[in-house]
Amino acid sequence: MKKQFGFIFLILTMVLVTACSSDSASSGGEDGKWKPEKSIEIVAPSGAGGGWDTTARMAAKVFEEEKIIDQDIGVVNKPGGGGAVGWAYIHAKKGNPHHLFVNSPPMILVPLNGQSEYDYEDFTPLVNMIADYGAIAVAADAKWDNLKELFEDMKKDPSSITVIGASSPGSMDHIQFVKVAKAAGVDIKKIKYVSDQDGGALTAVLNGSADVYSTGVAETVEQVKAGKLKVLGVTSEERLEGEVLSDYPTAKEQGIDATFVNWRGFFGPPDMSEAEIKFYEKKFKELSESEGWAEIRDKFGWTEMYMDSEQYKEFLAKEKEELKKLIDELGLGK
Amino acid sequence: MLNTLNKKMSLFLMIVSIVYLIASFRLPAYTYVPVDADVVPISLGFILLTLSIALFFSKEEGTGQQKAIPKKEVMVILAVLGFVLLYIFLLEILGFIVATALFIFFCSWFLGYKKFITNVIVALAIPLFIYLLFSNFLKITLPEGMLPF
Amino acid sequence: MFEGIWTGFQVAFSAQGLLFVFIGAIVGTLIGMIPGLGPITAIAVMIPITYGMDPAMALLLMAGVYYGAAYGGAASSILLNAPGESMSVPTTFDGYPMAKQGKAGKALAVAAIASFVGGTISVILLTFFAPALAKVAVSFGPPEYFALMLMGLTAVASFSDDSTIKSLISATVGLMLATIGIDSQTGTMRYTFGNPNLLEGIDFLVIALGLFALAEVCSLILERKEKAANMNKIGSLRLTKEDYREMAGPMGRQSVLGFLIGVLPGAGGTIASFLAYISEKKLAKKPEEFGKGSVRGLAAPEAANNGSSSGAFVPLLGLGIPGSGTTAVMLGALIVLGIQPGPLLMSDHPDVFWGVIASMYIGNIILLILNLPLIPLFAKILRVPRPLLTSLVIIFCLIGVYAISFSTFDLYLLVAFGILGFLMALVKFPPAPLLLAFILGGMMEQSLRQALTISNGSFSIFVESPIALSLLAVALLSFIVPILKNRKKKKYDVDNQMEI
Repeated sequence: MKKQFGFIFLILTMVLVTACSSDSASSGGEDGKWKPEKSIEIVAPSGAGGGWDTTARMAAKVFEEEKIIDQDIGVVNKPGGGGAVGWAYIHAKKGNPHHLFVNSPPMILVPLNGQSEYDYEDFTPLVNMIADYGAIAVAADAKWDNLKELFEDMKKDPSSITVIGASSPGSMDHIQFVKVAKAAGVDIKKIKYVSDQDGGALTAVLNGSADVYSTGVAETVEQVKAGKLKVLGVTSEERLEGEVLSDYPTAKEQGIDATFVNWRGFFGPPDMSEAEIKFYEKKFKELSESEGWAEIRDKFGWTEMYMDSEQYKEFLAKEKEELKKLIDELGLGK
Repeated sequence: MLNTLNKKMSLFLMIVSIVYLIASFRLPAYTYVPVDADVVPISLGFILLTLSIALFFSKEEGTGQQKAIPKKEVMVILAVLGFVLLYIFLLEILGFIVATALFIFFCSWFLGYKKFITNVIVALAIPLFIYLLFSNFLKITLPEGMLPF
Repeated sequence: MFEGIWTGFQVAFSAQGLLFVFIGAIVGTLIGMIPGLGPITAIAVMIPITYGMDPAMALLLMAGVYYGAAYGGAASSILLNAPGESMSVPTTFDGYPMAKQGKAGKALAVAAIASFVGGTISVILLTFFAPALAKVAVSFGPPEYFALMLMGLTAVASFSDDSTIKSLISATVGLMLATIGIDSQTGTMRYTFGNPNLLEGIDFLVIALGLFALAEVCSLILERKEKAANMNKIGSLRLTKEDYREMAGPMGRQSVLGFLIGVLPGAGGTIASFLAYISEKKLAKKPEEFGKGSVRGLAAPEAANNGSSSGAFVPLLGLGIPGSGTTAVMLGALIVLGIQPGPLLMSDHPDVFWGVIASMYIGNIILLILNLPLIPLFAKILRVPRPLLTSLVIIFCLIGVYAISFSTFDLYLLVAFGILGFLMALVKFPPAPLLLAFILGGMMEQSLRQALTISNGSFSIFVESPIALSLLAVALLSFIVPILKNRKKKKYDVDNQMEI
């Protein structure tokens, strides 16, 4: 009995030594009226490995490495309900500014679909950090070369064209396509949308089971380089930068007045004080301008899009209004 | 009428399938797809109903000898179940380390482990080890509870 | 082409390279042994650690962690009846009975060898056929997936040695459980009762650990006073010539089959290991030994799930499509290292491509060398006094579930499934069909409805595709034949029955 415990502890020490060596010590105090008194927790309202999780973990890492915040920062996953479980968790932390969470458009869409009782207005928007954009892609040998041609065919015979995305109707992949299609004059109630959450969406477009792939810009780059997909339009305001990205035409330049931003930022629990908000605004601004963060942004292909708390609130209110119209028109709203 | 186990189970399953069917028929309609969200559930409900009726008349008896569990043992299992439920309830209140240490100690002791010292050591070492492994190495945060770390 | 793999091997065989694989394998095995933490979590937590490391070294570390976690999962399935991942469920069918008979050492050795053979054969296939098979990976659309899932589900009929009706009921309940949550084709909330914890459905792990591990805890409690002498024994690791002869066929066949199924993006690993188990049972001369500690029944799914894990690298490395949860996380890991997998990976970055493959070869070998001597140590878990072991198993199941869902709701649900599992065992309802149907059910329903949406409601879409049509035909046969056989058999030996 004793022997085996000895061995387990030996392994344990080995593991811990390797683990601790990767932790860096934090130091130094900072001015400001409010300062966190204990470690900060960033909640990713999803499981490990997704966009929210990556953003949270990378932010925590740079905060610690560049010694921007001298408290420990832990990332906690609260998956479930497309974010709803995590939101409920943070809402219960009312008035405790040591709990933040990462979020993006589902924060608006999920409540609009009636799948969460909490809306972004129930929380304190702190800062927005980055933006990502949607892409509308088809197989390289498809007959359409631009959005106009695609939407012309769609107006003629909507049942012949299948649009596929990774999320359910009313969520991001669906809504970004609907938004562009509506601006082009397509009857959005007739769009045939299929959702594939098991990672088969790209495959389905490549083998011809589905025709149009509604997804994020980053997912298309390698396929376009290899000549398997072509991107008919992206949802950004202006052309993106990057070797393949800059070739993607925007919907706007094709005369379709629609954009869709996949924004990603940080929120706090309800009822945060002005001083607390200021503290985080300042720290995240430093993060956004740090070299470490710039490097991470490049790696993941994210665009910088910093907004402070006030700007963020205005932006969100406008987004919500636009999306609500679409969801209501589709009859998905609750 | 409900003299055999099969018949009792069958009746229970019929109730399950009927409840499930009712819930399925109540699902809201979504008009944009040819096969709506309620089609598969409704079929499953009817399949289960059919199968449970078949079970009612089935003569396939579970051939194995039915092991009767002594009353006392049932109480032991129920007690452990109580421990587990209490543990889950206290996990986020007391924190992982305290709750787990208490559970391991009392559950093992209750089940007849009388080596007091070993029990204490294990009950303390295992939660600490797991906690350190998770929070420092795997970066998975377990409930801290009242302890400051 | 071989220049690339040669360079890959040179990097891997450096002292530093071997050290990284070694550390990875130890850490991975430890993580994998906790039920609920499998290769996905293990790799996900490695991502921040490998950030900034030399990519070649990071890949070696990942390969070690990956195989280590897979083996650790097999160990917890064998020793505690606690499968941490859907693809290691069939490992419990014969692995746990072996451990109960006092042959834990042998069971772990069989699993280690079968994993090694499955892993190695499939990496060899990957080396030579990856580009050619990339086309196969995209040949499946919704109708084909539906047919494949249906074929996997018909395996249920083969579980029914005792009562066909009970297996079918069990499977139907599994399919029903899979319908809980937001329906992804319509966004409709089904049977969630306003509880946000149910919106994404019930996690596989909650059902698997409940029905298998916690239900087994109940029998541990009941048997705590019987000096269950057998289970305390670990037994010899030595495999006899006979054992090797038994294992050779299943390992060879199922490694290849597993690899081919793994190539398809989707639920490859689970279908591969279940089909491996079923098909070996059908091929075996003594199928009645399956489920009672058969070496074949353990070797087959282990070889197949390792084979399918390498198969899943075909779409990842060849096309940039992650076909499984693990490869999706792997994709994230590669991106962090500055490598964007896509169709051009092989031609643009042959060093990475061959680096990954070389580290897979090394990972496999190191794991075998590392784990065979450690088996007696792992198996000593069973020597822990029964009352203490019982509390520890309960704690491990609870932590495993908590670590993926972070909600006490799922823990209560886990306990509920534990009770259900115990009751099902009492009244002789087999739990395996329920779990299999639950795993396949979600994807089966979704691909059925995706296909019908695409075809605007016409069923002809299933007949037009030759692949789908032939899979459906196999499904039909494999469903009907065992039932007919079973009927016949029943007439002769009424008492012959078997538990799963």
